[in-house]
Amino acid sequence: MHFAGVDIGSTMTKVVLTDKTGNLLSTIKGPTGAEHRQLANEVMRQALQEAGLQIDDISYIVATGYGRLNVPFADCQITELSCHARGVHSLFPNVRTAIDIGGQDAKCMKIENGRLLNFVMNDKCAAGTGRFLEVSATALGIKLEDMGDISVKATKKVQISNLCTIFAQQEVVALISRGEELENILAGLHDALAGRIAALARRLGIEPDLVLTGGVAKNIGMVKAMKESLDCEILVPEEPLITGALGAAILADEIYMKAVAAGEALSTKARRLEKATFFGEERR
Amino acid sequence: MSWFMGVDIGSAYTKGVITRDLELVASHTIISGTNHRTSAQAIRSELMRKINLTDNDILNTVATGYGADSVYFADHKASDIVCTARGINNVFPQARTVIDIASQSTRVIRLNESGIVTNFTVSEKCAAGSGRFVEVIANILRIDLADFGRLAARSKNPITFGTGCAVFGESEAITRISEGIPKEDIAAGVSKALASKITSLVKKVRLEEPCAVCGGGALNTSLVKTTETELSINLLIPPRPQLVTALGAAIIAATLKTSQSSKKRGFWPAPDRKRLPDEQ
Repeated sequence: MHFAGVDIGSTMTKVVLTDKTGNLLSTIKGPTGAEHRQLANEVMRQALQEAGLQIDDISYIVATGYGRLNVPFADCQITELSCHARGVHSLFPNVRTAIDIGGQDAKCMKIENGRLLNFVMNDKCAAGTGRFLEVSATALGIKLEDMGDISVKATKKVQISNLCTIFAQQEVVALISRGEELENILAGLHDALAGRIAALARRLGIEPDLVLTGGVAKNIGMVKAMKESLDCEILVPEEPLITGALGAAILADEIYMKAVAAGEALSTKARRLEKATFFGEERR
Repeated sequence: MSWFMGVDIGSAYTKGVITRDLELVASHTIISGTNHRTSAQAIRSELMRKINLTDNDILNTVATGYGADSVYFADHKASDIVCTARGINNVFPQARTVIDIASQSTRVIRLNESGIVTNFTVSEKCAAGSGRFVEVIANILRIDLADFGRLAARSKNPITFGTGCAVFGESEAITRISEGIPKEDIAAGVSKALASKITSLVKKVRLEEPCAVCGGGALNTSLVKTTETELSINLLIPPRPQLVTALGAAIIAATLKTSQSSKKRGFWPAPDRKRLPDEQ
């Protein structure tokens, strides 16, 4: 008996496979791209390969994330909020607040025993999401994954006065031409984003333990800035990207076991991975 | 007969005009760039060349716009709101509201018959509320900013942007392109989104007709038309809408009587301070 969680985020697609005792068999991440279906198939195939399984071996598959309706082989769809709550709880049983910063939104969740109590999210404005850092990295010509490492070397924070990502991009270039140090500008950018996310989290009320997840949690500069903005300890999972997919796999397990215990038949989709196509055409 | 100069350093373009008394005789526009001081200087020498005069022939110069502080040769600095109102009053004395669609902000100004500002509101926090949104999408569609309005005007099925953010709008435009949506429908969607933001700004200061539109955005025919439909009014469009604020600055320059004394006092003439009661 095996279970799968598929999380299609705006930037990355994540798949987690677990066995019946809840052990992680494989976790695979791949970019999402415009054609979700194609990449869902592709990432699933890789995950199965890593775990040495066939698609028929998976008893139940839950899809989540913003592209969850585009997973042709998923048996059920659950919102990413519930999945994140469950995934974070399985890693940190004492979690009360979880902040997930993704490429296209930021979510703050209040969690009790793995159940979602309340949440606030920003998906309206790029300035409060990982996109803010992505755009700035492009403007500065540095790699997204290097941003955090450079920013922690800062000797001071350069105040970024624009809120809008697009205006900030312009401001950052102007700051460079004015002779400000790259690390100080980056520290300012991280601080600006952390400030906005902290304001979002405060609307919900912050209770320890607080866990930070999502791609942005991989950035040590951001973890530092969030610590300063929220003035509290922050826990970060070893792999902060996969909590949603992990939660989906755990929920798949629960749904399946509950149905088995009740003697009900669960409807499942055809266990078949489609050929990767791009808008109907075979991928070259 | 006296000559006056207005210099408007905006976030994208630097505009300069020369007036003889209240009549526009020369204008010049350059990209603002990163060094506003050089832009200001370049504008002045180009204007002088155009009218064949020297710096000393200009009686007064007023600087405005977000780079006004860099116009080192100005006699006076005026707010862009005040200058836009004065400028539009010169072109359309009947206008009681003016919408200024600039690259980095959108302003809606109410003014009276003498061109005095009675109320205004500014959207400057967010690129989705300014001409920048058009620039961002034009870049994605790989079309020239100057062709944007004409292209958008051809659309029969404007798309609706699901977001109020220019960054997310950019991604959305890319998705629509990959879905095979025609460029003009995406461009027209931008006009629609921006027009609705402008409409809510106009409602904030309460519209009083006649209403004019100026700034670079006024050159975008699709945006102007969509805004007219949203507001259900006709908008007055000046012949050179980007120059209105610089023109207003030159007109204010003409009203400064004490040119020589203000020059001696330096760039930003200190107001005559009234004595406080306990100083007397």
